[in-house]
Amino acid sequence: MREAIHVEKPYFLASLREWLFTTDHKKIGILYFTVSYVFFLVAGLFGMGVRLEQAQPGMQVVSYDTYNYFLTGHGVVMLLWWAIAAHIGGFGNFLLPLMIGARDLAFPRLNALSWWMFFGASVLVLLTLIPGNQIKMMWTGYPPFSSNPDAGVTALYVFVIHLLGASSIATAVNFIVTYLKMRAPGVTFWKTNMYVHTLIAANVIQLIGVPSLAGAVTMLLLDTYFGTNFFNPAKGGDPLLYQNVFWFYSHPVVYVQVLPIFGFFSEIVPVFARRPLFGYHTMVFAVWGIVALSFIVWIHHMFVSGVPNWIRVLMSYTTLLIAVPTGIKIFNWMLTLYKGAIQLRSQMLYMLGGIFMFLIGGLTGIPNAMVAIDLGISDSLFVVGHFHYVLGMAVTLGILGAIIHWFPLATGKFYPENLGKISFWVIFAGANIFYFFQMVVGMLGNPRRYPDYPPIPEWAALHMIQTIGALILGVGIIIFTWGMIKGLISGEKAPQNPWKSPSLEWRLPVPAPAHNFGDEPPKIEKDWHPYRFDKLEEGNK
Amino acid sequence: MEQIFALPYEWWKEAVIVWLIISVIIYLVVAVPGLYFVMKYRYKPGEREIGDHDFESHAGLEAVFVVIPTLIVLFLATYSFSIFKKMRTVPDNAMTIKVTSFMWGWQFDYLDEKGNVIKSVLTGYNPNDYTLSEEEKPVIPAGKPIKVLLTSMDVIHSFYVQPARITEDAVPGRITYLWFQINKPGEYYVFCREYCGTGHSHMFSILKVVPPEQFTAWLYGNNAVAIKSETNKEVAQ
Ligand SMILES: [Cu+2]
Ligand SMILES: [Cu+2]
Repeated sequence: MREAIHVEKPYFLASLREWLFTTDHKKIGILYFTVSYVFFLVAGLFGMGVRLEQAQPGMQVVSYDTYNYFLTGHGVVMLLWWAIAAHIGGFGNFLLPLMIGARDLAFPRLNALSWWMFFGASVLVLLTLIPGNQIKMMWTGYPPFSSNPDAGVTALYVFVIHLLGASSIATAVNFIVTYLKMRAPGVTFWKTNMYVHTLIAANVIQLIGVPSLAGAVTMLLLDTYFGTNFFNPAKGGDPLLYQNVFWFYSHPVVYVQVLPIFGFFSEIVPVFARRPLFGYHTMVFAVWGIVALSFIVWIHHMFVSGVPNWIRVLMSYTTLLIAVPTGIKIFNWMLTLYKGAIQLRSQMLYMLGGIFMFLIGGLTGIPNAMVAIDLGISDSLFVVGHFHYVLGMAVTLGILGAIIHWFPLATGKFYPENLGKISFWVIFAGANIFYFFQMVVGMLGNPRRYPDYPPIPEWAALHMIQTIGALILGVGIIIFTWGMIKGLISGEKAPQNPWKSPSLEWRLPVPAPAHNFGDEPPKIEKDWHPYRFDKLEEGNK
Repeated sequence: MEQIFALPYEWWKEAVIVWLIISVIIYLVVAVPGLYFVMKYRYKPGEREIGDHDFESHAGLEAVFVVIPTLIVLFLATYSFSIFKKMRTVPDNAMTIKVTSFMWGWQFDYLDEKGNVIKSVLTGYNPNDYTLSEEEKPVIPAGKPIKVLLTSMDVIHSFYVQPARITEDAVPGRITYLWFQINKPGEYYVFCREYCGTGHSHMFSILKVVPPEQFTAWLYGNNAVAIKSETNKEVAQ
């Protein structure tokens, strides 16, 4: 019976050597997540530096160049490490095989390659901390500025994008094939968890879009170091070419970042409403509708870039149309609450808070899409406030709630519930104070990426309020992080399926055993569905 | 027309109000029932341990969720289109100023009907504060539409007329345009809103809006301001 004992061993009890050479999706998921979380904290500190500098007019905290470096680092790391790698590399790796009843991903060694490329990109980013290596071109890296010495080390930026891009493409192929080929018998398309649907949709976007971004930065590298003229108007090039190719991917990437978060909302809200996800089918259609639309809206990032008027109007329509599938999702989450049996456990608070932030973020996205309003707010702090509601807070609240929810599966212990609740309310209050007033000062005209601004009393007051909000937000993140450490060390031991969820990953003992479900895929009953709570065996309803 | 302060600011403001009203309504329609459900349908041990499992979809309701937002969105897009058209159509009586951007400032060339430069003003880089000397301030007549032709000598910049709430990028190798009109004399900020490096946040200018007669005197007056700007122009190029 040695086999059986082997199966019961938690996945994380392994030697350092096993961790280093691992191809296990759970270990790789944890590795991804750990690096991303540390980077999240560092990028948060960068953001705090930016925020403190803007607290008052004039320069008090950092120099212009340090500010530009902080802001570039904050953008690149938050978008690519936190809002992608943490929940695709981290949660996606960990959960995908478990939710579909598979033993691992389809290509475990390719997965290890993805992780090591990601790790390489992480090391490259750390190199920018060395003075003289800074990148100061903002995360968008627009030429001709990004070829200018004032932009910092362009090559580092390009290689970071290339490594991450190669890693993402490998992951995307791996996840998509895993989903298509490795589902346990009985896990059909219409019985797939929403999180898995959204994860696959996000990776389809990656597969289509990343090559476009890679092309953009390759041209940038050639222009900067090898004398080509893709973006040089003096020799017949066009700087707007970069923007087009860049945004062709970098708008859809917003949905790479946010769709799996919708997946978290759709997983956790039903569990704590004890009720099936309302409108599951339309939700799936909405996800794929978003994927399709996301590739024909990118000009909304270029509404004032000098492109022809007709294309601005056209993409104003397509952009606004995305509100329809996104709206469907919000309505469905709300109706999932209707006639539920709602428990406001901390992860449920995080999900409801995330949906609230997303609602505000969606409504404040409308004026950016209405080209007539955008001419007045483009590249202002309004845009920054808006996308921090969506990408900043909806994503962060989603990830933090997901940490609490799947903590027992990963560690065998509970995240401390009281710290979960406290951190939620502190983060939620701080973020709303911060980003709401950021939008207000943007409406008044404050441009983005400004370390300094004119001493207009109204603007100065609004910046001071934002800074207070940011400090509260920071305290909330510290409390949350402390909760994770405390849970790991001394968290209460969790039983199997602590939330009484019908989803497949909870059929495993906690923490998850090394070989998941063992040699046989889990036996799935005919009437099983990841959101049918009435089909759970007695005592688990 | 007396009360109108600036264009396209008036239209822009109207569009913002329309958006705000619709957003607040949508917000209430979604958030109030959501909050109510959370309050009402609480888990109670022994009494309410499982939620309703019958109402998991509703074709009619879901169709409404598609149709109504689609109509709202089409309305907003079309409404925005109608305003955008006005914003991008330069009135016939507009006066043209050519603005050349550089790291980190602008040169303003006042053009006559034939496109010849009548006068130039150069706003240089002031990294210390947000003030300019008198000769660095471009002057425009109140109540007259101004067409700005934009280009850049180095990297991409933009030209944002803060009181008029209008922006357009200045792209090297291209000529882009915007137009605006300010009716109230005074001094107003212009900012660069496309990130352009170290001096980005101090890439600003101060527009001096004066009554038309005063403007004509300034434009054709053979004063020291004009001469100094001409020499600065060479320095910048
Ligand atoms: Cu976008
Ligand atoms: Cu500039």
